[in-house]
Amino acid sequence: MHSDRMRLLQEQLEGHGLDGIVLLGSSGVAYATGAQTPADDSGRAGLFRSVAIVVKGDTDPFLYSVAWDGAPERLPSDHLFGPLFPDLDDGIDAMRDVIHQHFKLGSRVGVDEQTHPMLRALGDFEWIDARPVMSACKLHKTPDEISAIRAAQFMSEAAMDATRAMLRPGIRQTDLTATYLRNVTECEGTSLALDPIWQVMEPTRAANPWTTHGDLAYPTTSTDRILREGDIIWVDAGTTYYGLSSDFGRTWITSLHPTPTTRQAAQFEQWCAVVNAARSLAKPGVTGLELCRAGIAANDGVKPWLEHFYLAHGIGTDSAEMPLIGTDLGEQFDEKLVLEPGMILVFEPVIWDEGHGGYRAEDIVAITDDGWVPLSNNRYEPFGVTP
Amino acid sequence: MALEDSGRVNFTNLRTERRARLFAAMDEANLEVLILGRTSNIHYTTGARLLWRSGVFPFAPMCIVVRSTEKTHLLSCWDDGIPPEIGREDLFGLFWNPVSLIAALRAIPGLVEATRIGTDSFTPSFSNFLPTFAGTSEVHDAAQLMTSIRSVKTNDEIACMVVATTVAEAGLTALEASLEPGISERTLLSIFNQTIAHHGTPTPPSESVVFVTDRQGPVRMRHLATDRALQEGDLVVLAPGAIYAGYEGGLARTRVVGGGSSPAIASLFERSSAGLDALISACVPGGSGEDLYKAWASTGEPVPTFALANGMGVGAEAPLIGFSRGETAILQEGSVLSVQSWVSTEGIGGVLNRELVRIGSRGPEILTRSERTS
Repeated sequence: MHSDRMRLLQEQLEGHGLDGIVLLGSSGVAYATGAQTPADDSGRAGLFRSVAIVVKGDTDPFLYSVAWDGAPERLPSDHLFGPLFPDLDDGIDAMRDVIHQHFKLGSRVGVDEQTHPMLRALGDFEWIDARPVMSACKLHKTPDEISAIRAAQFMSEAAMDATRAMLRPGIRQTDLTATYLRNVTECEGTSLALDPIWQVMEPTRAANPWTTHGDLAYPTTSTDRILREGDIIWVDAGTTYYGLSSDFGRTWITSLHPTPTTRQAAQFEQWCAVVNAARSLAKPGVTGLELCRAGIAANDGVKPWLEHFYLAHGIGTDSAEMPLIGTDLGEQFDEKLVLEPGMILVFEPVIWDEGHGGYRAEDIVAITDDGWVPLSNNRYEPFGVTP
Repeated sequence: MALEDSGRVNFTNLRTERRARLFAAMDEANLEVLILGRTSNIHYTTGARLLWRSGVFPFAPMCIVVRSTEKTHLLSCWDDGIPPEIGREDLFGLFWNPVSLIAALRAIPGLVEATRIGTDSFTPSFSNFLPTFAGTSEVHDAAQLMTSIRSVKTNDEIACMVVATTVAEAGLTALEASLEPGISERTLLSIFNQTIAHHGTPTPPSESVVFVTDRQGPVRMRHLATDRALQEGDLVVLAPGAIYAGYEGGLARTRVVGGGSSPAIASLFERSSAGLDALISACVPGGSGEDLYKAWASTGEPVPTFALANGMGVGAEAPLIGFSRGETAILQEGSVLSVQSWVSTEGIGGVLNRELVRIGSRGPEILTRSERTS
């Protein structure tokens, strides 16, 4: 996995005319180095951040980190160093020295963030936005990355089985989180990516939170809200496995004996129809726009996804990354987006039945040479399975 | 998380005080607008209940503060979890299309004509993006401004940190109750995560919570929990934390698996406590980072390879005193430090103790309560 990523990074550095790249964000560092860091709150993750530096022509990345024990074994010892603290003016000279060791004055270097101390101390280089390089590298997953995403998803799904068994009237949203974390954290290599979501969906738009665009609010943050008999909850959670993300989405019914009503069962059937319509087209050469049109057609002409999101998104070291299909970037963007082997699609259509709530779940596939393979399971308790 | 708009802290006052500090600092720095992208700064500025994600993300405009209108504008498609002083008209949606984002930002009163703008970070493309919705391409450093206003804590802020510390201590109790030979670091971490979630605060400040210290070879602090099983007589570090209403609390203790001891282990506990006491005694108003380094050196322990202290509040914050940094940092009355002491002996293991310390007018006030092993 790491040698594949380094090859891709070197190709992109060459293609973008860059002498190297400096990465400060958690996702970029995880991608470039394969290093594990404990999941930290953003304040700690910022102050004690790891930094990755990739130099054109070098076969290994440089890692500057407090978490020396998260560095991959294959990283040469002369590529692993202590932290740089780019957020502090105090000691920014040390970072300046490091950058000067790696790059000649005036070099063109990609960077994902520039702190103010960096702006003051590192003006001798031509800094270029690193996003195009990272986006291009991450667009296609290697077989090892796909395996890791599958493993991450498998662990998350197993933890969700235990969590769903706890769902009953009187339980709090944060109690569901407790059960999920108790189970998923047991697995070595996993790390908490986001606070799991157990959003109660009211039957009408008006009864759900107000939004800027008039569509549904989702995902809203979990609290110690107590769940009641019959509450429909839209579940969304993600953990990482060796830096690769999972994405679990399902609709659950709060009850000791959850049984969908006829109306709710029909919502699920509609959701299956949309996913199947889009997924059945998915293979190399098909455009994002074709998937969108198939999804809309299967939903009687109504766009079956949230205004602020998409029909499908990619996943990798970020929980949502390219390809994004069905966003406000518009039809032209979706039309130019052509599926290729190694892309991951997380389909997350939403079926809304005003007055009767709705159904939302997520389904993950990897695009192969001639179609797709599933990366998530097809069990949608208490509604059923997809074909 | 447990709702922060209820309980024994007056959150309306808390937010009012934070905004007053923010606007005063903007006046002093002559800044018309702040553009914030750091989660902790956004939480401090808005008090909004935002979806928690681990890690740190590259800078993007998530929160806009306009001095002339005294308005705070936030990227959020909904008003759930948004404090009442931020009106619906002050929210801007999530856009993938920069054209739509620019239009939404241009609609913010006072932004298009602003020329004195501060940000808490930057990206190479932001200098081109900024003039599309503001009156300049130049930014000023607002990261320092945010650091300085966040440093001194009000009584309500301290109360939040004490609540968070109490949850962390409940996590410590759960960890101690599970300390038996054969249990793995991973299982202990999962018990800890479960415990703090049941207390309504599921997002940990860090997953660096448990590590067994090595009894063979060099003893180093580790950060990632592994499948390694605890053995009778192991020294195991327990470093739980918690976040309440955005504020972090936490501590570290070291325990012996099976509860036994030996003169060598007792000596390690004494050294760690002596180091911590020396550091804490240097936590006085007007003291400096250099004083902490000197206090540590006075114990005869080797030059520290870890942070002696860092600021705490809405998560970990400046100053950082350690890794050869922070000598000139001045300790402000009313600020809070996480102070720690790590000592080790090859062949025995290591001991970490960590306390949360408020720099009080009459000296250090320890906010953590669990007993250290003596």
